[in-house]
Amino acid sequence: MTVKLTRPLFAAPIALVAALALASCATAGDAGTDAAEETTDATVSFSWDRNIAGEDEDPEYEATTVEVPVDPETIVVFDIASLDTIGALGGEVAGAPLENVPDYLEGYLADDAFNAGTLFEADLIEIEAQQPDLIVIGGRSAGLWEDLNEIAPTVDLSLTGTFLETLERNTTFLGEVLGAEDEAAAAIVELEAGIAEAQAATADAGTGLGIMVTGGELRALAPSEGAGAREARGGLIYDVFGVDPVVEDVAAATHGEPVSFEFLVEHDPDFLWVVDRDAATGAEDAQPAAEVLDNELVQQTTAYEQGQIVYLDPVAWYIVFGGIDTTQIMIDDVLAIAE
Amino acid sequence: MTALAADATGTPTRIRPRRTWVGVLIGVAFPVLAALSLFIGVSDVSPAALIAGGPDGDAASLLLVSRVPRTVSAILVGASLAIAGLIMQMLVRNRFVEPGTTGVTEFATLGMLVALICWPAMPVFGKMGVAAVFGLVGTWVFLRVIRQVPVRQLVLVPLVGIMLGGIVGAVTAFVAYRLDLLQSLSQWSLGSFATIMQGRYEYVWIAAVMVVVAWVAADRFSVIGMGEEFATNLGLDYRRVVAIGMVVIAVITAAVLVTAGMIPFLGLVVPNIVSLIIGDNVRRSIPWVAGLGAVFVLACDILARTLRFPYEIPLGVVVGIVGAGLFLWLLLRRGSRAH
Repeated sequence: MTVKLTRPLFAAPIALVAALALASCATAGDAGTDAAEETTDATVSFSWDRNIAGEDEDPEYEATTVEVPVDPETIVVFDIASLDTIGALGGEVAGAPLENVPDYLEGYLADDAFNAGTLFEADLIEIEAQQPDLIVIGGRSAGLWEDLNEIAPTVDLSLTGTFLETLERNTTFLGEVLGAEDEAAAAIVELEAGIAEAQAATADAGTGLGIMVTGGELRALAPSEGAGAREARGGLIYDVFGVDPVVEDVAAATHGEPVSFEFLVEHDPDFLWVVDRDAATGAEDAQPAAEVLDNELVQQTTAYEQGQIVYLDPVAWYIVFGGIDTTQIMIDDVLAIAE
Repeated sequence: MTALAADATGTPTRIRPRRTWVGVLIGVAFPVLAALSLFIGVSDVSPAALIAGGPDGDAASLLLVSRVPRTVSAILVGASLAIAGLIMQMLVRNRFVEPGTTGVTEFATLGMLVALICWPAMPVFGKMGVAAVFGLVGTWVFLRVIRQVPVRQLVLVPLVGIMLGGIVGAVTAFVAYRLDLLQSLSQWSLGSFATIMQGRYEYVWIAAVMVVVAWVAADRFSVIGMGEEFATNLGLDYRRVVAIGMVVIAVITAAVLVTAGMIPFLGLVVPNIVSLIIGDNVRRSIPWVAGLGAVFVLACDILARTLRFPYEIPLGVVVGIVGAGLFLWLLLRRGSRAH
């Protein structure tokens, strides 16, 4: 990837590294959300605000710090984005919810990787038997923390703050854990560059609308500004990649707002960014998004006429979103419009 | 419709004044709502635009491709589901049954899921067939179970049906869960007309055919409603009429499920209201049930489209709220009458 960077973006990772260096001088156990710090006895501590209210409407946070051994031997990962990053940084994952690991990340699993459960449920007995040194959870599996932390040090690498902040925080942290700080820093720089390039591509591309297609229905995706975390998903095309939303007021809901085909005709975005939810969850048998969108009304839209309906990688945009390789896939998806 | 209504008014019954009132309501509300349904939507399709052609020359095509299908499916879905409820009530001789409270809808949903999993490439028509067969099995199972229940109290019968539906629904949910189809399932089984358009709604015409069948066999259903012995004494082939009724119910349920999804309470509320007004003669009440059902769904769909404009609320949610309210009103009203 060619490096043609704007100054501020190039400076961002350096500033971050500097900030982390300073943070390591501060006292441990700070309630800060992104303090990763190295100590002498070969552990790295990771702190975050853990939601102890469960899946409640009103979350209640408790500052949590976990000491993680450097260079752990057996790593169990529930957060697929972290699986991606660990693998890309040269680590190997011993256990994961195997059914949810997308093909392009299978190479990061150990040959004899065991099935640790699903994205929502852990096979506690099996995990206990494997005696892991580190467990990584996030997003859908965030609620498993209490059970898993009894077995081994467990960190929650869920999205907090913006997508980029989280990507940098997690990559830096995992780099330290794996003893691959340089690779992590390099990866961040490269992804930042790619995102900048993608933003340049969308800047003069006109308006866009993110839609999720599932079960033959359409949902308009929203910019997730301020909503952060769980609501990100398809909204990332606006938040991270700078797509100019054709409608501003889509409520930030995880799965978007139901809309009709007429909605597409009326608002007529220049680009349609399509997330095929059923393809993401492996329901290949469900009606593919392309088929749902193949109709007379869609054919009236600018996006169709200009050939500007972009099918985003469903796994990357819906299941994983985050992680080094996955972010690269997302960048490539967006850059495809510049070709 | 008006001719039939006039015919009904001509026959002497106890509660004449209210009948006229509802006749006027349906006669006025139906065309008004149908017209509203044609001209309300995200895009601007007004009668003026249609006549003018002009820059909105697309209005006519939009009307044809998007609005007419939506309006027609609302009418047909409302009419046929209400009829399915009416017939079910005659077969079981219970005022509180309909496909949704007897497990028929759940069986049909399971059928759809099975078709999706086993024969993914099957065209929608085939999937509907599978759903109809499952619906038929569901009706049969329900009728068998009901026969075994010694006390046929008014509320016990639908209770048994709801339990039956609960069991089948649980099986469906479990299968969907294991195969990561849960969200898709909830998406297409939740009633909605949002993505209805030409090429995606034609199956409701099959439900319309079933309405005609029900109409033709109307007198027989009236007799069936008086009990097996009575019907047999009148020289009626009880089993055959029951079989016809079961097919009508199953096919309507499947057709509606395929086009719109689940629409609760409709088959329960509408025939009950009609029964209160003009009694239990099926031949006489069929046009009323069909008309009121269509009015009900048209109204709910217009609400679904306008409450969160330009986004949509799933129709199933709107019908659920309005229908539940009406159902409660019916229950309380019946209670007050009985004492």
